[in-house]
Amino acid sequence: MISMNKVSKHYGSFQVLADCTTEVHKGEVIVVCGPSGSGKSTLIKCVNGLEPFQSGEIIVNGVSVGDPKTNLSKLRSTVGMVFQNFELFPHMRIIDNLAIAQVKVLGRNPEQAREKGLKLLDRVGLRVQAEKYPGQLSGGQQQRVAIARALSMDPICMLFDEPTSALDPEMINEVLDVMTELAQEGMTMMCVTHEMGFARRVANRVIFMDQGRIVEDDSKEAFFGNPRSERAQQFLAKILHH
Amino acid sequence: MAYNWNWGVFLQPTATGDDSTYLGWMFYGLKMTIGLSLSAWVIALLLGAVVGVLRTVPNRWLAGIATAYVEVFRNIPLLVQLFLWYFVMPELLPEKLGNAFKQTNPIVQQFLSSMVCLALFTSARVAEQVRSGINSLPPGQKNAGLALGFTLPQTYRHVMLPMAVRLIVPPLTSEFLNIFKNSAVCSTIGLLELAAQGRQLVDYTAQPYESFIAVTVAYLLLNVVVMFGMRWVEAHVRVPGYIGGK
Ligand SMILES: Nc1ncnc2c1ncn2[C@@H]1O[C@H](COP(=O)(O)OP(=O)(O)O)[C@@H](O)[C@H]1O
Ligand SMILES: [Mg+2]
Repeated sequence: MISMNKVSKHYGSFQVLADCTTEVHKGEVIVVCGPSGSGKSTLIKCVNGLEPFQSGEIIVNGVSVGDPKTNLSKLRSTVGMVFQNFELFPHMRIIDNLAIAQVKVLGRNPEQAREKGLKLLDRVGLRVQAEKYPGQLSGGQQQRVAIARALSMDPICMLFDEPTSALDPEMINEVLDVMTELAQEGMTMMCVTHEMGFARRVANRVIFMDQGRIVEDDSKEAFFGNPRSERAQQFLAKILHH
Repeated sequence: MAYNWNWGVFLQPTATGDDSTYLGWMFYGLKMTIGLSLSAWVIALLLGAVVGVLRTVPNRWLAGIATAYVEVFRNIPLLVQLFLWYFVMPELLPEKLGNAFKQTNPIVQQFLSSMVCLALFTSARVAEQVRSGINSLPPGQKNAGLALGFTLPQTYRHVMLPMAVRLIVPPLTSEFLNIFKNSAVCSTIGLLELAAQGRQLVDYTAQPYESFIAVTVAYLLLNVVVMFGMRWVEAHVRVPGYIGGK
């Protein structure tokens, strides 16, 4: 579904990504972790072309992301993305946040789009909030809406960039629960997160990044059992003690 | 020497025998000021929005052209721009068009030159506001739009501009007020707007205090109306629950 081959990116002489190679199969859940500044966000944004990269190749569902002839908008409409800061559109009601791209990008009629939006809000337990504005919801609620918004496009896979990092602790679980459910339904997911409990529950593989490199790319059992690199061991020790 | 106040002067017929009172002159000037300022404002908003957006697009050429536009129209003194539009521009036009312009009613010539001048000058300032509005949005908003499959123009249209415009209502209010004040410059090419009519009144009635007080009050009233109008707009576009940028 997603395959990356020797993806590299640099700003001037600063290497953000170095020879990143990995693969996400259909139905797999991959957790990406690593210290701040190690290039996790950049890597995940390369998958749907939000960040350009200078060399290497990324293929999503048979389409090459880096190819200038690729219709990136079309590709992105098939890849759901959830951000650290939710990024709901503040001037639109919740239901319109869910409907607008269905109408403007997929060409669905507004009634259908609304129906679908309400169904998804139901699914994340927020149907009663449909007519509110994002600023009137809590962070956890906003993030669940953001997930529902991404799902409204019927994506073939989902990208998450630290979806719980901006949340108060008591709201983290409501978001992780939605993600867990999604994973159990067979959604292909690539999640940047430091929630190791989530990784243990649903991940198939864990990728550990450091200084723009993929240092570990292991099954979850191998990663938690016995990470090979010292950096990953240190990192795990640090976050598991928190 | 005691000054001889005479507020009744406004109701007197003018000395030119043009079948108008001095109050009529004032209203003529007021209408001219309002018509000129509003028409220039509408053009300035449209042009300014386009140029402001172009300054933020990831295309060096478009952004460069937009930047040059802003620098030129913002930095040449308004009075000089007015003279360029009124005296120089008709000479630079293709001969036929230039002559056609020079043969139209002088009032139309003055009005058109003034309108274009004020509109372009103000559009450069509006463009700067639009640009800063866009730049003050959380950067993730653009990505969120793109990630849903919006094209870049769609992302501007549906995601970035609606919020950017809301953020810049207060600074736009002061640009809107400025355009009324700046329109007074157009009296220098003979356009009989409010300030020019005030000066005429002084010449004809020898009642300078009444004349200038009346002009001042008229400008103040315009200010108040614009301010209340823009407050209404601001309240009208307020987003429930939204507290500033992140
Ligand atoms: N526009 C940019 N210019 C220069 N350096 C950047 C830019 N964007 C990100 N970086 C650098 O790239 C590195 C990786 O960033 P990021 O992918 O956000 O890391 P992570 O998500 O793992 O914290 C960081 O060191 C960051 O400072
Ligand atoms: Mg990050």
